[in-house]
Amino acid sequence: MTVFFQLMLTGLVTGSFLILATIGFSLTRRVEGFLNIAHPELLGVSAFTTWGLNVMLGWHIIPSAVVGIVFTAFVGLIIGRVVYDPIRTLGPAILLITSVGVHYVLGGSVDALVGTGIRSLDIPLAESYRFWGLRITNYQMLVVAFAALATISLALFLNKTPMGLAIRAMSANPELAASRGIDVKSTSRITWLISSGLAGLAGVMLAVVATLSTDIAFNQILQILAVAILAGLGSLYAVVAAGLIIGVAMDVSVFWIPAGYRPLVAFSVVILVLMFRPEGLAGKKSR
Amino acid sequence: MTIYSLILATLTFGAMFSVLTLSLNLQYARGGMINFGTVAYFAAGAYAYAIFTQEPPSGLDQYLFGFDMPWYVGFLAAGVASLLFALLTGWPTLRLRGEYLALTTFAFAEVFHSVLLNERRIGNGSVGLSNVERPDPTTLGIDDTLGYAFAAMALMLVTAFVFNRLLKSPFGRAIDAVHDDEMAAQAVGKDDARIRLQVFIISAIPIGFAGALYAMITTLVAPSMFTAQVTFFVWIALVLAGEKTIIGAILGAMALVLFQEVVKGFPFETVRAAQLASSGEEIVTGILFILVLRLRPWEKLAKRGSA
Repeated sequence: MTVFFQLMLTGLVTGSFLILATIGFSLTRRVEGFLNIAHPELLGVSAFTTWGLNVMLGWHIIPSAVVGIVFTAFVGLIIGRVVYDPIRTLGPAILLITSVGVHYVLGGSVDALVGTGIRSLDIPLAESYRFWGLRITNYQMLVVAFAALATISLALFLNKTPMGLAIRAMSANPELAASRGIDVKSTSRITWLISSGLAGLAGVMLAVVATLSTDIAFNQILQILAVAILAGLGSLYAVVAAGLIIGVAMDVSVFWIPAGYRPLVAFSVVILVLMFRPEGLAGKKSR
Repeated sequence: MTIYSLILATLTFGAMFSVLTLSLNLQYARGGMINFGTVAYFAAGAYAYAIFTQEPPSGLDQYLFGFDMPWYVGFLAAGVASLLFALLTGWPTLRLRGEYLALTTFAFAEVFHSVLLNERRIGNGSVGLSNVERPDPTTLGIDDTLGYAFAAMALMLVTAFVFNRLLKSPFGRAIDAVHDDEMAAQAVGKDDARIRLQVFIISAIPIGFAGALYAMITTLVAPSMFTAQVTFFVWIALVLAGEKTIIGAILGAMALVLFQEVVKGFPFETVRAAQLASSGEEIVTGILFILVLRLRPWEKLAKRGSA
């Protein structure tokens, strides 16, 4: 039974990481109105920027991570302004297909700059803690802490600040928001910064808990899509619930079926959701 | 690498991928369906061909089925497998629209890939099935690679011809009607759900045949050959040369394969240089793709031509 609870705990950590990786994706989807297939590549951009500063230049991990996250936020902003803004009128399908092109450009750039091979950050080895026979490392706790922190600050930002309210207004009804005097351009810019910055944070967390290879970013897309679809177009809280459900379901499934099937579990959830409840957990109809 | 072999490789793989872009063209440009799981139907065809033609398992083989049938049985089985998979995936999902359909088909493809990778009883798991049986063109007195180039082009031409006839028939007009105005099509008694499913299934069959051909050419089927990158490749090929026409779908695939073959055929001194070239190829492809989607040069040309 301890094994079962251990898997459950690991699942919660996986879920926390998925929340971090998905809230940015989900925010883009709500405000900009399309699925950004290239979003996971931003995790790779951030992870490898941090790695470059930390290992190649010998910086301490904290400044490396901060620069990595800020850099990723601006990469996301520039892509949003240069690539997506001009074609927004062509509809979500074209934006979705275009993001495949962006995925190629980002993935190719990371490949060209970094090259193949397995890498890890220059940080102390993880320390393991035991609670009631369950093990958790300090880095895993860091992931959970950052996921909680990011979610709470984003919730406060979206609910309490004028800019946050503007973002929510835009996601609910862009035309109405514009006619009520909301600056659509600057709101969209802030959204790109935040969602890409969150992808950056997720990328750093990935670099901390896992070994890095250049295809790692693309491998996340499956889980991110799974969480985003399960959450639907709903609120931040739906993303949190969906992230935890998928994380726990994937890790606990190892109790009964071979570990190779973890992604399959996530995707079976997606297929079931899309077939029986396409609007997702939150229950709002898509536009 | 000589020019001759470059052209031959481009024609072979270009024609083979054209079959996929032609099918996507039918699904997307005419049917309005975004299929982001194209690779699954391709893989279904390739695996069906390999399973039907290989010998029963022996020694270290972990697969369960090998029917040792002649190649044409395997080829037909590939089409049927792709059709059945399209029926299985299309029937529950086609009521979803736009991005949701894209996601479900993507999800089905990933699940299928994961099953092929993990379930060793289908095709030896990640190792795949090697030494796939294939007809030998030299018995007809044709060079081996040349023979397969002809086979690929024949498949492409037949697919293009059949699709062309189909789109000009009353059925084709019904497809366009559903695509242009669903309500009006329903009002005159066209069952839109049924038509969409029919388009989806019909266009999956040639993808299965192309999969069988791919297995014959490479004599290998393994999960690593059937990743989402294949789907993306086909989409890019389709969009590059304009997604509305049959000739565009073919030219796009040919151009993209030629580009890849040129980069692949370049004699690189080091591994790093070859890797840089392939990443550079990815970046250039991505930028071209974004530009074509944004500037829509083919539509503008077509408009200017008709004006």
